Amino acid sequence: MLRYTWKRLLTGILSLFVLVTVTFFLVRIIPGSPFQRGGVSEDVVETIEQEYGLNEPLMTQYISYLGNVVRGDLGISYQDPATQVSDIIARAWPITASIGITALAVSVILGTGLGILKAVSKRRWIRELISAGGMLAAGIPSFAAAILLLLVFSVKLKWLPASGLLSPVHYILPVTALAFYPSAMITRLVGNTLGGELQKDYVLFARAKGLGKGRIILTHALKNAYLPVLNCIGPASASLLTGSFVVESIFTIPGLGREFVGSITNRDYTLILGLTIFMGAVVIIVNLITDLLCAWLDPQTRRAYREERA
Amino acid sequence: MSVLDVRNLSVQYLTENGASEIVKDISFKVEKGEIAGLVGESGSGKSTAMLAVMGLLENRAQIRAERITISGEKPVPGQNAAMIFQDSLSCLNPSVKIGRQLRETVQARRKCSRKEAAARAEELLDLTGIRNPALRMRQYPFELSGGMRQRVVLAIALACEPELIIADEPTTALDALVQAQILLLFKRIVKETGTSMLLVSHDMGVTAAMCSRVYVMHSGRIVEHGTVEDIFYSPVEEYTRRLLEDARGGRLTVHRDGNTENAAGKTGNAYGNPPLLQMEHVTKIFDESEGVRDLSLEIRRGEILALVGESGSGKTTAARILTGMLREDSGILRYRGDELGQDRRMDAFGGSVQMVFQDPYASLNPCLTVREALKEALEASGQRVNGTKRCRSERQRSSSYSREKGRMAEKIDRMLRLTGLSPEDADRYPRDFSGGQRQRIGIARALIVEPEILVCDEALSSLDATTREQILELIFRIQRKIGFACLFISHDMHVVRRISDRIAVMYGGRIVETGETKKVCSDPWHPYTKQLIEAVPEPDPLRAVKIKAAPGKDGTEMVRYGCPFAGRCGYALECCGEEIPESYSFDGREVSCFLYSDRHSGRRSRDYRMTSQI
Repeated sequence: MLRYTWKRLLTGILSLFVLVTVTFFLVRIIPGSPFQRGGVSEDVVETIEQEYGLNEPLMTQYISYLGNVVRGDLGISYQDPATQVSDIIARAWPITASIGITALAVSVILGTGLGILKAVSKRRWIRELISAGGMLAAGIPSFAAAILLLLVFSVKLKWLPASGLLSPVHYILPVTALAFYPSAMITRLVGNTLGGELQKDYVLFARAKGLGKGRIILTHALKNAYLPVLNCIGPASASLLTGSFVVESIFTIPGLGREFVGSITNRDYTLILGLTIFMGAVVIIVNLITDLLCAWLDPQTRRAYREERA
Repeated sequence: MSVLDVRNLSVQYLTENGASEIVKDISFKVEKGEIAGLVGESGSGKSTAMLAVMGLLENRAQIRAERITISGEKPVPGQNAAMIFQDSLSCLNPSVKIGRQLRETVQARRKCSRKEAAARAEELLDLTGIRNPALRMRQYPFELSGGMRQRVVLAIALACEPELIIADEPTTALDALVQAQILLLFKRIVKETGTSMLLVSHDMGVTAAMCSRVYVMHSGRIVEHGTVEDIFYSPVEEYTRRLLEDARGGRLTVHRDGNTENAAGKTGNAYGNPPLLQMEHVTKIFDESEGVRDLSLEIRRGEILALVGESGSGKTTAARILTGMLREDSGILRYRGDELGQDRRMDAFGGSVQMVFQDPYASLNPCLTVREALKEALEASGQRVNGTKRCRSERQRSSSYSREKGRMAEKIDRMLRLTGLSPEDADRYPRDFSGGQRQRIGIARALIVEPEILVCDEALSSLDATTREQILELIFRIQRKIGFACLFISHDMHVVRRISDRIAVMYGGRIVETGETKKVCSDPWHPYTKQLIEAVPEPDPLRAVKIKAAPGKDGTEMVRYGCPFAGRCGYALECCGEEIPESYSFDGREVSCFLYSDRHSGRRSRDYRMTSQI
C-alpha cells in the first residue's frame, strides 16, 4: 500500500501540473488586462504590466511562474498588491472549510440516520417518504435551494440572518443549502447498501446468537454497508471543502468561492492560478485519503498490506 | 420432559397468488442430551420449520403452532436455543474479528466484563478443538479454513449456553475428512455439555452416523419418524425408502454395472481407451503452500475421470493447466500424443476442451441471453476450428450467412433440449433461472461446441442435494450418449463414486492414487485414499458409528522433503519423511506409497498380484 500511496501522490502532482498549465494559458485568453479600469489610460496600464513582467513572452512568464510555484511562492494579488495570494487563501479557506465541514457532518449524520430508517422501517409510508424526499433534495440545485431558504427564513419569516458569518446562527442557512444534495445522496446509499447487508446470513446468525436488532445494525451491518458510502463521501467532501461559489455569493460569505468569482471578473491572474492550485490539491488529497481509508477498512487489503511490510 | 417440544407447527407465506403453505402441521420432540435428526430433500421445508422454531422467520411468514417450547419455555435465540447454519463463511461477519464475534455472544448471554468474556471465548475455542485460540481471536473469518470456521460457529453457539442447538446442514459445505472431524466434535460436545441437538440434513450418511432418532420430512410434512434403526433398516414409507436408495448410490451405478444402458451408447467400457490428454511431470508452484508438483495424469477417450482431494490439494490448478488457462513451470502436456507447447495450447485445443464452473451465478454474463451466450461460445470456437474458412470471399459469406444462422439456431434448440431446458428459454436472461437451471445453461454452453473433453470444476458443489442429483444424472446421461471425455473435479466422494469410471486422488499437489473407481473405492491402497473413503459416513447406522476422523490438522501443508502425506499417515515408514515415493503401477492401478515399493515388500515374481498393504 505504501507503493500505491507514492504512486497516487506522484500522479496527483502530475495532475496539478497539467491543471496549472491549462489554467495558465486559458486565463491569458480572457480578453483585457488585469489592470484595465474605467479611468486608467493605456499608457499607465502598459507601464504597470511592464512592471509585473506581463509584456514578456508567454513562455518565459509560464516558466518563471512554475519556478515560483515550486518554491512555494504563489505571488501577490494583482488587484491588491499589498497581499500575498497565500494570505488570501489563508484568510478565506477557514471560513469555507468551517461551513463545508459543518455541512459534511450534517449530511453524514442526517444521511446515515435516514438511511438506516429507510432500510429497517416496517412502515411503507416512511420508506416511501424518505425516498421521495431524497429524490427531491437531490434534484433541487443548490442555488435554488439557497434562494428559497433565504426568501422563506430570513426575508419572510425573519427568523434567521441573511448574510455574513458572525455567529453560529448565521451558519444555519448556508449549511442547510450546502447539505441538501450530499445528505440525499448518503441517505439513498446507506438505505440501499444497508438493506442489502441486512439480508445476509451473518445478520440472521447474529439474531440467532441473541443480539438485539440495534446492536446488529450498528456494530455489524453498518460496518459492511459503509464502504461504498465512504467511497462517495470522498468526492462530496472535496467539493464542500473547496467552497460553493453560488452559496457563498448568495449569503455574502467571504470564502474561497467568492474570492474565486471575484478573481475571474478582475482577471487577477495570480489569484486565479493560486486558488486553482489550492483547490486542485485539496480535491486530490481528499480523494487519496478516502481511497486509503477504504482500503484500510477492508480487513483483507489491510492484512495484505501488513504481510507486505513484514 | 422433552427439551424441544413442537406440536402442530404450520408456516405459510402470503404471496400474490394466495397463501402457500411451506410447513404443514408437523410435530417433533428432542429429548435431553440426544441428537435427533431431521432429514429430507432441499425444499421440503426443513429450514423454514427450524427458523420458525427459533422465531427467526421474516414477518411475511405466518406461523401457527399449538406449542413450541424448550423445557417448557418459549425459545429465545441466544438464551435457551442456538442455531448453526450451513455456510460458515457467510454466517460470520467478514469485517469483524473472530474474537469480537464470540465475545459479544458471551456478553449478550450474561453480564460480564470484557476480559471475562474474552477468557470465556478462548475457552470455547479450545473446547471446539481450535489450536492457539488467542491467535484465532485476532483473525478475521477469511483467514480461517472452512473446518475451522465451522468450529468457530459452533463455539459461538455454545457461548449462548443453550439447551438446544439446531444445526442446519452444518457439514454440507465441507469435504469428507473435515466433515468427519466436525461430526465427531459435535458428538463430543453434546456428550460433554449435555446439550441437545437437532441435526437437519439431506445426507442420510451423516444422519445415520449422528442421530438416535430421525424425523423424515417431505414437502412440508413429517412422513415418518422413529429410531435411527427403524428408519434405516425397516422404513415404512415409500419416500424414506427412496431417500435411502438414493443415498446408497443405487441408480447411477446400476445403470453402469448392468451395462444395459451402456450397451446402446457409443462407449462401452472406457477402460483401456487410448489417452486423449496427458500431463507428464507437470509442476506449477504459486507460493510455498499451493500448486501441483510432479503431476502425471491422463484422460482417456470417452471416460469420466474424477479428480478428488481436499481443498488446497491442487485440483483446480491441475484443471487450469490442462485447459491452457494457466502455464506450468515445467512438465509436458500431450494432446492426442503430440506434445503441446505453452503458446499454442489454446489454438491447438480450439473448442475441444470446455469447462463447466462451480458458481452458476458468476459464470454466466447477466447481460447476455441464453441464445447469445451459446452463440458466442459457438462463434469463439468456430473461428479457431475453421480458421481457413474465414478467408472466403465476402459474397460467399453473405450467401451462406442465413443458412448458417438457421443451423446455429437449430443447434442451440437441440442443445437446450438435451440439457433439459426448453427452446423458449433461449431468449431469457440468466436472472430468470434458478441455480440448477443456470448450471444446465453452463453445460449447454460447454457442450454446444462439441468438445472432446469436458472439465467440470466442482460443478455440483454449489447446488442443493436434489438439484445436484439431477445435474449429476444429466452429465452422466449426456456423457454416455455423446461420449466425450470428462474430467470431473469434486471433493464429494458420494458424487464421484457414482459418476466416474476412473478416479485420481490428489494430496498436497501430487496424485497419490489412480485406478478404476469401483476398485479404488471398495479397496483403497493409499493410506490417504483409505482415510478419505472411510470419512464418508455410510447410510447405515451400525457401520456409520465407526466413522473415523484423521488426526485433527488444519489444512494441507506442502512438504519439501518426503511424502506429502507422511505427517498424517499412520503407516509412515522412516523413508517417507526423506524421499518422495514414485508411482508404482499394478494392473491398471497406480499408487504413490512406499508400502508398494520393492524396498518394502521385496522383489516380486511377475505374476504376483498386489493387494492392499494397509
